[in-house]
Amino acid sequence: MAKPTQTNISSLLKPIWGWITKGITPYIILVVYLAISSFLVFNSPRSLPAFLMFVSSVVLLYYLPTKIWYKAVLGVLIIFVIIPIVGVRNIFYLEIIFQICVFAALALGLNILTGFTGLLSFGYIAFYAVGAYLWGFFGGQQMFLLHAIPGSAGPPGKFFLPADTFYLFLFLGFGLAFLVGILLGLPVLRVRGDYLTVVTLGFGEVIRLLATNMDKPLNLTNGPQGISPIQRPTLPEPLLQALRVVLNPIVGHEVTLNEFYNLFFYLLALAIAVVIIIVTVRLDDSKLGRAWIAIREDELAAASMGIPLVTTKLIAFAVAASFAGIMGVIFSASRMFVSPESFIFMQSIGVLTMVILGGLGSIPGVILGAAIVVIINLGILTDLSIYLGELRQSDKVIPIINFAWKNLSSQLDPAKYQRLVFGIILILMMIYRPNGILPAKRRARAIEEHFVELNNNNNEKEAENGAA
Amino acid sequence: MALLETKKVVKRFGGLTAVDRMDFTLEEGRIVSIIGPNGAGKTTFFNTLTGIYKPEEGEIVFDGHPLIGLRPDQITSLHIARTFQNIRLFGNMTVIENIIVGMYPRQRQSAFDALLRTRAFKDEEKSAQDKAIKLMKYVGLGNVGNELARNLPYGAQRRIEIARALASDPKLLLLDEPTAGMNPHETDEAIALFRRIRDELGITILLIEHDMRVVMNISERISVMDYGVKIAEGKPEEIRSNPQVIEAYLGRGAIAEMTAS
Amino acid sequence: MERIIKSTVLRELLRPLGQIVAFVLGTGVILSILMFLISLIANKSAASLALIERNGIDLFTYTLINLPQVLVDGMALGFVYAAIALGYTMVYGVLEFINFAHSEIFAMGAFIGVELLLALNAAEKLSNITVATAFGWLFVAILAGMAASGITAVLIERIAYRPLRGAERLVPLISAIGVSFFLQDAIRLTESLTSGQFHRIFPTFGNFDERVSVLSFNVASTQMILDIPIKSLVVIVVAILMLVGLNYLVNATKLGKAIRSVAQDRNTASLMGINVNFVISMTFLIGGSLGGAAGVLYALKFTRIDPFVGFMPGIKAFTAAVLGGIGNLTGALLGGIVLGMVENFAGAYLGVFTMGNFGVEYKDLISFLILILVLIFRPSGLLGEQVSQKA
Repeated sequence: MAKPTQTNISSLLKPIWGWITKGITPYIILVVYLAISSFLVFNSPRSLPAFLMFVSSVVLLYYLPTKIWYKAVLGVLIIFVIIPIVGVRNIFYLEIIFQICVFAALALGLNILTGFTGLLSFGYIAFYAVGAYLWGFFGGQQMFLLHAIPGSAGPPGKFFLPADTFYLFLFLGFGLAFLVGILLGLPVLRVRGDYLTVVTLGFGEVIRLLATNMDKPLNLTNGPQGISPIQRPTLPEPLLQALRVVLNPIVGHEVTLNEFYNLFFYLLALAIAVVIIIVTVRLDDSKLGRAWIAIREDELAAASMGIPLVTTKLIAFAVAASFAGIMGVIFSASRMFVSPESFIFMQSIGVLTMVILGGLGSIPGVILGAAIVVIINLGILTDLSIYLGELRQSDKVIPIINFAWKNLSSQLDPAKYQRLVFGIILILMMIYRPNGILPAKRRARAIEEHFVELNNNNNEKEAENGAA
Repeated sequence: MALLETKKVVKRFGGLTAVDRMDFTLEEGRIVSIIGPNGAGKTTFFNTLTGIYKPEEGEIVFDGHPLIGLRPDQITSLHIARTFQNIRLFGNMTVIENIIVGMYPRQRQSAFDALLRTRAFKDEEKSAQDKAIKLMKYVGLGNVGNELARNLPYGAQRRIEIARALASDPKLLLLDEPTAGMNPHETDEAIALFRRIRDELGITILLIEHDMRVVMNISERISVMDYGVKIAEGKPEEIRSNPQVIEAYLGRGAIAEMTAS
Repeated sequence: MERIIKSTVLRELLRPLGQIVAFVLGTGVILSILMFLISLIANKSAASLALIERNGIDLFTYTLINLPQVLVDGMALGFVYAAIALGYTMVYGVLEFINFAHSEIFAMGAFIGVELLLALNAAEKLSNITVATAFGWLFVAILAGMAASGITAVLIERIAYRPLRGAERLVPLISAIGVSFFLQDAIRLTESLTSGQFHRIFPTFGNFDERVSVLSFNVASTQMILDIPIKSLVVIVVAILMLVGLNYLVNATKLGKAIRSVAQDRNTASLMGINVNFVISMTFLIGGSLGGAAGVLYALKFTRIDPFVGFMPGIKAFTAAVLGGIGNLTGALLGGIVLGMVENFAGAYLGVFTMGNFGVEYKDLISFLILILVLIFRPSGLLGEQVSQKA
């Protein structure tokens, strides 16, 4: 039913796409589009459309066919120049980009589990919690509060470990989550299908409940209030001074330490997300990745091809968990705070929504999915909330039904209606586009040449037949 | 020495004995068939050979290795490969990937090789691709390497399954009704292919088949199963005239009719 | 002939009653004995000494005094779980899929029932009324909750599940979780727009908050009083009536036969002239209305509801369904009772026995652990047959 319209659109787009991808045109389009959108975001830092235009320029950069060096130059320009400048002018957008990086990494992890290996998990966020609480405990002051009832003792005023052990804990978070992935994976893999999904949900909730309740007998997690403060790694002061000299005049205000930290965590999350993308792409096209997908497609056939099911699934669990673990460490450091609230069931489903929206098993898909969901959550819904708040302050009324905005319930805050959005996305995607916005594609190999001879033979045969 | 030998293999499902004290010997380099009516336990026997089912009793020895208690993937590593009665390809992978998955037990790369894209990794992937192309041509597939397996017609899917099985360098190839659903022309091609696999590659073939034309045409020996029990064994001409076999296939009274007519 | 029919009717009504009594007694006795043993063993422990210092009684006496209350509360909770679990298990039996949205179907019933009572309360229909009228209005609220939940369940199936029949197994599961999330916020949105807040409180009316003394006697110089809140009694009685009714419906009516045949084999059932879509809709209707009634009962017992109220009871009821053997109606009943009892025992005694180190807050954790352990070690449940799972 939906097919004819799709072909119509694509046939309409084809000549346009042909035109904009020819010769030097994409080079010009990219640089012009990027310049305009950057200028717009720079000039009106509060405009969401300008920001969306800017984000779309990144997507365009990925898809328009240009030489790789050109993409690299523009990419470096965007990452190290444009985003820092517009980001410091409106720190909120830097936050969005930071979260896109974090959630893209999480979505890529869940994608290995659910997209590649076909193991639907409703408890993935637990691994994120493992990393976050690891640094929360060791990077905070909790070690000195082990015997204190939450909230009763004053802050000890000192941290257990030096702040720069953070970098070490990135690896430890990775490693610990990897181990937890295997430990949880072992029992979970005894069950299959729907039950596996429920068991993962169970484990996800168990981890959250442990985080909530392990404030006694030993106060490990500080209970529902969570752990705060948590250290951030130190930034070298001379470097900040130098950067201030450059940045201050451009952004028009004195850049604060917090803004520098936002920049730092953005770059760190981006760097790790890039590493994770490379890891995922490379694993996907290897013996291990093929084994994962084979298991998803047909477990019995996969086993009969010599793939050890348990080991291969466990590796999927461990790798997926480790991505979340490392991002958890970054998350708790960047917030300087960690609490069970961040690891509720809804967060697991949020990451799942990203994967489903983008396309199960599709690497560019899940990254796009993460970007869309984060922008909906932080950008669009929040903007709507602010807009409604303004209307509520005003004397305006909705014309026809004569409803005064003032009377609108203050409970109606669109930013809190993520469940509604996730729910609708999930249902609609399942009914109309179960493969996502950018369905997974397998790599096409250059093998034409090997069959040329064969084709020629066939042609000759046909020619002979024709002659006869 | 026999390549494959089973002794008194028993597989039960609840009260039903699907395979009953099966003794079976397969010499290297042969093409042998197992036939029998529907539900005779042929596929169950295959599944006990490949480790999908664990037999309750008996021994299975392949090439000097006891197979009982091994998982399917371990058994495949010992150079046994199989195809399935209802084709089980990896539908959303390309044809060439399907075949490369078949090489899984022979590939040596580790995940770190894959991450670092080492020379060894690249060499292995290149040779895997070359081997896959060779196999595609060997089983008579055209330039469909980049197509998704699920998008290909039935006949091609059967060929891909055989290529995938061959990719694991088997000594023994188990084919479960490989010509089911084929037209006579395709069937002839398939028979020729099986012969070539044995003659050129030296692979022993054990097949389950319903189509008597195929069985009689290709098999050097035939075993007949009925109700989980092996009721006869021998050369095709011996089987053709064995009254027990005719009875199993056509029911009691068939022999009387045949002799009468 | 008439006699045979009568005896079938009687049997189908008596059998579930017998089962209920057996399950309640069995679970109650086993858990009580277990508790007594533990309390005897731990009677000289630090926990016991601390208790003597604080309250003047040792652990054993503490266990004894609290036991009747724990048992009754556990029973009430268990029947609520059982009523919800039946919805999961019926849908699983027919479609082999976990209806994650069932927890919100339950919440829907709770909200409609409570909203109705609140509206009546606002219209001053609930003040100064006789006990009989109060029960009458409660009954109406339960019916309204059942209707709302039943219809919601049917609509969900029609919109979000039916188009996906025959798709891969992950697909309807994801859709179900989507429906669940959508409904949570849809309820919240409606409540926020209409009432300005999203949690509701069950209105106080009738004599549901009073307690009736059932018996009092002395054990070892300790006076034991068993008084039960009327609302717990209501929950137990209504739940038992529903469970018996459902059992009758499934085992002794034509529709029940159709449901069972669709559960056995959908294709064959349709070949036999059974309208499979209709039967599936009816399954959702019945399962949904049971969930809705459970929602109103839950609101009666726990008073406060919010749009996310379904999640925990939902997951626990699912645990109950799996514990009993999913797809098996009797199993759901047994699982619900066991889980409700265990949870109440844990809630009542865990804190005292561990000197407050692991308190009542761990009762949810215990339910999840039961869920995980059952799925891993006995996925067919207590009463289920050992069937190979479809992947």
